[in-house]
Amino acid sequence: MKADARAGGGFALRIQNLSVTLGGVTILSHVNFQPAMGKINAVVGPNGAGKTTLLRAILGLVPFTGTIERGRGADGRPQRIGYVPQRLEFDRAMPLSVLDFLAAGLQSWPLWLRCLSKVRRVADTALGRVGANGWESRRMGALSGGELQRVLLAMALASEPDILLLDEPVSGVDIAGESLFCDLLGSLQREGHYTMLLVNHDLSIVTQHADYVVCLNQTVYCEGTPVETLTAENLRRLYRHDVGLFGHSHMHEGHAHDHHVHHHKESESK
Amino acid sequence: MIAEFPGLEWWSGEALPAVHRLARETLPFAWANYSFMVNALLECILLAPLCAAMGVQIVNFRLAFFSDAISHSAFTGVALGLLLHEAATRWGGTFDPRITLIGFALVVAFAIAMVRRGTELSTDTVVGVFFSTVVALGLAIVTASGSRAAGFQRYLYGDILTLDAVDLAITAFLAVLVVVSMCVGFTRWTLIGLNAELAHSRGVRVRLYDYLFTLLLALVVTVTIRTAGILLVTGMLLVPAATARNIARTAGGMFRWAVVIGVAGAMTGTLLSFSPRFEGISSGAMIVLLASVLFALSLVLRRLRR
Repeated sequence: MKADARAGGGFALRIQNLSVTLGGVTILSHVNFQPAMGKINAVVGPNGAGKTTLLRAILGLVPFTGTIERGRGADGRPQRIGYVPQRLEFDRAMPLSVLDFLAAGLQSWPLWLRCLSKVRRVADTALGRVGANGWESRRMGALSGGELQRVLLAMALASEPDILLLDEPVSGVDIAGESLFCDLLGSLQREGHYTMLLVNHDLSIVTQHADYVVCLNQTVYCEGTPVETLTAENLRRLYRHDVGLFGHSHMHEGHAHDHHVHHHKESESK
Repeated sequence: MIAEFPGLEWWSGEALPAVHRLARETLPFAWANYSFMVNALLECILLAPLCAAMGVQIVNFRLAFFSDAISHSAFTGVALGLLLHEAATRWGGTFDPRITLIGFALVVAFAIAMVRRGTELSTDTVVGVFFSTVVALGLAIVTASGSRAAGFQRYLYGDILTLDAVDLAITAFLAVLVVVSMCVGFTRWTLIGLNAELAHSRGVRVRLYDYLFTLLLALVVTVTIRTAGILLVTGMLLVPAATARNIARTAGGMFRWAVVIGVAGAMTGTLLSFSPRFEGISSGAMIVLLASVLFALSLVLRRLRR
C-alpha cells in the first residue's frame, strides 16, 4: 500500500515559502523544501536555527505563513505523521507502564478501565519492531535514555505513519543506546516505507545515516546528499564558525585559521 | 435561586427522605438513625471518588499549587456571597453564597489558565500572585464586618455533618459530570500531561482538554470545600492519589487505588468523627488524617518492595 504511494511519483511533504514569526522574532523565513520520499532526511543547523520550530510547524503547533502540504497515499488519504519528541520530560516516579504509555497514544478508551486487546496487539508489534519485546510491564520511569527513545519510536510507529518526525532522537543517550537507535533507523530506512525527517545537531550521525541533508538557519542554505552538501564551505556559511563537532578531519582543512574571527560573529548572532 | 432548579423539590422533599427512611429501617447502626449522618456518608460515596480521580492528574502533573489557589479563591467567593446575602436581606430576600463560591472559583481558575498560556512567567509565580490576591481580597471583605466572620468559618473548616439536600444534589450532578469526563478524557489528559506536542500529534485537542480539566477542577474544589474546608481541600484531592501512586505500578492501577483509598478514608473519617470518642473533631481533619496514615503505610510498602 505504502509502496504504491511512492511509485505514484508523489511526495510525502512539500514545504513552500514557510515563515514563522513568534513574539516578533522571525524564526523561519521562506523555507522551501521537499523531503526525499522513503528516505532519511536530516535537518542540520546551529542552535536557534529553527529546526524544532520547523517540526512544530509541520505538526501544526505554531502559526505559520506559506504552505505545508502533505502528500496522499494510494487510497487518497493524507500521509500520516508520527512524531518522536526530543527527550520526554516526565515525573519518573509516576506509575506508568510502557503499555500504559503506548495505549495512551492509541486508545481514547479510559486507561483506568482497561487496555483494549487490539491496542495490546498493536503495542506488542510496535515494541517488537524497536527490539523491545516484552517491555509492556516495565515502568516508564525505570527506562534509560536510549530505551525511552526506542519506546517513543515504537509509539510513533504504532500509528502506522508515512512520515516520521524525529527531534534530536539521540541527544542525551549513551553511546551504546545511540548506535542501537541508529541501527533501528537504518532498518526502517531499508524498509523504505517511511519518509523520515531527522533533526540533529550531531553531524557524524547525519553523514553516516542520512540520504538527504537540509541545512537550515532561518532559511534553507543548501540541500542535497550528505557528500555534496556537507562541504566545509557550506558548513562555514551555516554555522559561521568552525564546526568542532564534525569528526571528519578533511572538513577542518582550510578554515581552522579563521576560527576566532567567526567565533566572535557567532556570539553576536545569538 | 438554587432551590428553583427542576427536580430539586422532588429530591429534597421525597427522594432523600426516602433514603433516610430506608437507612433507618435496614441498617443496624446507631448512626443510621440520623439523617445528617446518612447525608454525610452519601456525600463521601459521591465526592471522594471525584477527588481521588482529579487527584491522580494533580499528583502526576504537579498541579497541587494550582488546586490550592482555586480553593483559596473561596475566600473571596464566600466573602462576596456573604456581602450579597447582607444586601439581599436588607431588601427582604436571601442569597446563597454557594453561587459566588462556584462562580468566583471558575473565574480564578480560567484566569490562571489563560495567564499561564499568555506569559512567560513560571506557573508557580502566576499561581502565587492569584493566590495572594484572592485571599487578601476575601479577608478584606470579611474583616470589614464582624458578623461576616461567623458565616465564614464553616467554609474555612468545612463540615460534612451539616450538608443539606441541595449540597448533595450539587455533588450528585458533579459526579455525573466527572465520571463522563473521566471516561472521555482520562487517557487524553495522561498523554497531554506527558507531552503536549506528542498528544497533539496523536490528534488530541490539547487546548480544549486543558480548559475542560480546569473547569472540572474548579467545580470539584468548590464542592469539596463544603466537606473539607478551604484549608483541607488539597488534602482530600492529593493524599489518596499520592498514596495510590506508592502502591500502583500502572496508570489504571493508580486510578483504581486512589478511588478505593479515597472512599474508604472519607467514610471511616466521617464515622469516626461521629463516634463519642472523637466527638468535636472536625470531620474534614479526620478524613485527611486517616488518608495521611494510609500514605505513611504506603511509603513503608514502597520501601519494602525495593
